[in-house]
This record gives sequence, C-alpha cells and structure tokens, in this order.
Amino acid sequence: MRLGGTMPSLRGYVPLIPPVTILMMFFALPMGMMIGLSFQDGDTGSFSLTSYERFFTDDLALDGFFRTIVMSGLVAVCVTVMSYPIAYFLARSTSRWRAVVFALAIAPELAGVVLRTYGWLIILEDQGFVNDLVIQLGLIDRPLPLSHNMFGVVVGLTHVLLPFGILSLLTNIQGIDPNLEKSAQILGASRLSVLRHIILPLSVPGIVSSLLIAFTLAASAYATPALLGGIKFSVLATMIYQQVLFYINWPYAAVMANVLLVIVLAIAFTGARLESRLNSKLHVR
Amino acid sequence: MSKLLSVGYWVFFSFILLFIALPMVVVLAASVSPTSHVTFEFWTWTLEWFGKLWTSKWLDPFILSAKIAAIVAVISGVLATLGAYAVAYEKCPGHDAIMSFLLSPLAVPQIVKGVAIVLFLSSAGLFRYLGTPGLIAGHIILTVPFAVRMIATSMYNFDKNLDRAARILGASWWQRIRYVLLPLIKPGIFSGMTFAFIISFNNVPLSLFLVRPGQSTLPITVINYFEYSLDPILAAVNVASLLFILAVIFLFERIGGFTVQIHGGSK
Repeated sequence: MRLGGTMPSLRGYVPLIPPVTILMMFFALPMGMMIGLSFQDGDTGSFSLTSYERFFTDDLALDGFFRTIVMSGLVAVCVTVMSYPIAYFLARSTSRWRAVVFALAIAPELAGVVLRTYGWLIILEDQGFVNDLVIQLGLIDRPLPLSHNMFGVVVGLTHVLLPFGILSLLTNIQGIDPNLEKSAQILGASRLSVLRHIILPLSVPGIVSSLLIAFTLAASAYATPALLGGIKFSVLATMIYQQVLFYINWPYAAVMANVLLVIVLAIAFTGARLESRLNSKLHVR
Repeated sequence: MSKLLSVGYWVFFSFILLFIALPMVVVLAASVSPTSHVTFEFWTWTLEWFGKLWTSKWLDPFILSAKIAAIVAVISGVLATLGAYAVAYEKCPGHDAIMSFLLSPLAVPQIVKGVAIVLFLSSAGLFRYLGTPGLIAGHIILTVPFAVRMIATSMYNFDKNLDRAARILGASWWQRIRYVLLPLIKPGIFSGMTFAFIISFNNVPLSLFLVRPGQSTLPITVINYFEYSLDPILAAVNVASLLFILAVIFLFERIGGFTVQIHGGSK
C-alpha cells in the first residue's frame, strides 16, 4: 500500500477529494449561504432579523407553520398505528405469505410519490372513485369532502410514508426475543396481556423511531400536500416553493426553509437521545 | 374475547394491505379505462392512452429524466465508492467524522436543499446552470449519502484476509483493488447505483426548483399537468414510468447481481 511518499498518512485521504469537494460545493456552501441570507436585510444586505420578525408576525405564515405541525403529527400517528401490525407479522410469521406482504409493504416506494398521489386523487376526488361508489349505492347525495383538505393530505402522506414506519418497527420487533412471548403464553397470559405487558413495552424504541421519521418526512413533503391539499392548503414546504418561484423573495424563503430545518433537526436530535435512553433502559433490565 | 381480538387484528391487517394496494390498483385501472371514469369492466379496457404517450410532450421529459438519472447513478456510484473506500475500507484517521459529513445531506429536508442550491446558483451568477446541470448536481447531493451507506456496508463486510492473501502472493495495490476488492463489493455498488437511479428518476422536491422551461423532468411535467385535469393519459404516464423503473432494476440486478431487498432508508 505504501508505495513510498514522504507523508503516507495523507495518501488515505486522496480518494475523499472528489466526494468531499462535490458535497462542499453543492451542499455545505449553499446551506451556509442560505442561512446567511436569512439574516440579511433584503435591500442593504446588512445583518438584520427583519425576515424572521416578519415570519413570526405574519398570520398566514404562522397558520402554515402550525398546519405543518398538526399534519405531520397526524401522519406520524397514522403511519405508526398502521405499520405496527404489518411489522409484527413480518417479524414473527413463517408463512409463505410473508414474502408477499413484505413486497407489498415495500413496493410502493418504487412507484414514486407522483403515481401514488395521483391514485389517491382519483380515489378521493368529488367525482372520484369513493364518492362515485357511495352515491351510486344511494348512501349520500352529495360528494364527501375527501380531497383538497387535511383528510386527503393525511391519507396520501400516510400511504407514502408507511414503508418507513414498517421498516423501523420491523428492525425493532425482530430484536425482541420470541421466547418471551412464548413463555408468557405458557404461563397462561392471554394474547391481549402478552401484547400489553411484553411486546408493546419492548417495542417502544421502534414506535418512537417510526413516529419521528414519519413526522420529519411529512413536515418536509411537498408533492402530496400541494396536490392533495389544494390551493388553500399551505404548509411550510408549499410556502417555501411559492416564495422562491412566485414572489421571488429569497430572504423570506430562506427564513421559512430554516424554520423547517430547525423543526426537523430538533426532532431528529431529541428523538435520537430519547431512543438511546430507552434502549439502554431496556437492556439493563 | 381473545377470538374477537384475533378477528379484529386480521380485519385491520387486511384493511392496511388494501390501503397500500388501492392507489396502485386504481392507477393501473385508470390507465386502461376508456374514459376518465375509472372502470374495472375489463372487457372495455384499452391501450389507447399508452399510444398517446408517443409525442414529444411526454417523450422529451422522459428522456431527460432517464438521462439525468443515468448520469447521477454513475457519478454517485463513483463518488460513493471513493468515499466509502477511504472511510470504511482504509479507515483513515477521523473516518467517523468524515462518514457523518458524507451522510449529512440526509439530515436536511429535500425542499431545504433545493432552496439552498437554487439560491446558490442564482446569487453566484450561475443562473444558466439551472436545468440539466443543476438537476444533476442537486440529485447527486441527494443520492451520494444513500450510495455511500450501501457501499460502505459491503466494504465493512469485506474479509480483509483476502486482501492479505493477495498481497502475500505478490499482487500490487491496483491488482488487489481490481481483482479482489471491486468484484466482491460489486453488488453493493450496483444496489447503491440502482437506488440513486430510482431516487433521481422519481424526484420531485429538488427538481421543482431546478427545472426550467424546455428542460423539465417527467415527474414535474406530470405534476404541472395535474392542475388542469385528471386526464387518463396521466395514469398511462405513471404506469409507463413505473414499468421503466422495474425494467431498470431488473437490468441492474442482472449486471450487478445483488439480490434485491430494497430498503427504504430516510429521504
């Protein structure tokens, strides 16, 4: 390996030059510039907090901010609740359907967000699949408001993010010793109490990581809220897009992007700490 | 009580599977339905919408997307292999910190990365690089961390004794890389590249900022068309691009020989 050369230790860094340069140029530098820009006055370029002041006093912006939080929270809960049975099945089943369920659970990832959102639009629209069906059956005479609102967006995002929830719960549940459940059952515990006293407590770390990953990905999603939410449904991601491409207000766009970034990083950070604390607690027992 | 619980579990379980499958099934049905009214009466199904895709309106964005995805897959494959080699194989001093840096774009939401890149290109006077070059640069930032993670995993699993054996038998550094390391980590490189291809081809949040008139990717073209109507041609576009992705995975699998277990990872 050491083919001569006076500083052998530096040779090891040579392969890093291309990837690190590219990441510096198109990631670190732009991020630094964007963060800097958010603290600049639009006209003079000097340091100022006016863009932040504007964000936190702008009712529309705050409205979008809180809608982002509520939407992401709802999605996180739906994703986790719906992922759990699938992940549990995948972790414990030995049936031949396991492979089918696994493929079905993960395959939507390949389809991309546009196809799935389009599918939900066809299903949930006023003249869509569900409304057509329900009206034909004569259950109601006016279409249910299923799309262009929070409901539609939460449904769409839950679908997009389910694979992430399933995978993070699956890793966790696979780590739980199946003998614990067996011995509890042998000792006469009912299915329900095995679930409540053994599986659920031990899968808390998986539940937490599923909640967190779904929350952060929902908060930064653009396509689903933009397409299923309709024009009036604004969240941080859609507001950022509008500020950059329609209002061309870059400092303000940078502020919104930073707010989103801070939310995501804060959640990821507290989540990682919470997870490691939970994990160490479980292993001490 | 226990029986009720068990029935409830299976009902909920089937509901979730239905929920997962439903949008895909509906899009498939929509793409072959004769009108914009989705029908499951399969005897009326038609392929006419797929025939209408052969116009430059849909072909141009498709070709651009495929071209960008291919370039992105190759470049991020090379960059990630180099990075993973230094960090995971040679374990250069400070490899943990360097690894975190290589993975750091994952922590930032895509839409934030998109804003950062578009602001950077605009304020650095690089406006003319919006469009294809900007899309390639942006997508690379997105895909390199995934590829690094996948390739690094296969490097960590590499048995260093093989390298030692080759060295004792007198193989040069380059021979050991070319004939020992690379063939063994090939599946990792190819799964990283496949992943990069799919992410780039389907990407919305970054491309949104980087496309420009005449240089728009397929997902962005589809999204912009959404606003006018739910034309069944959109279903045909979506189904066609899904088939294309599946063909690409199949092709890469053939060359790279990775047994597919596509894991999600975080966006």
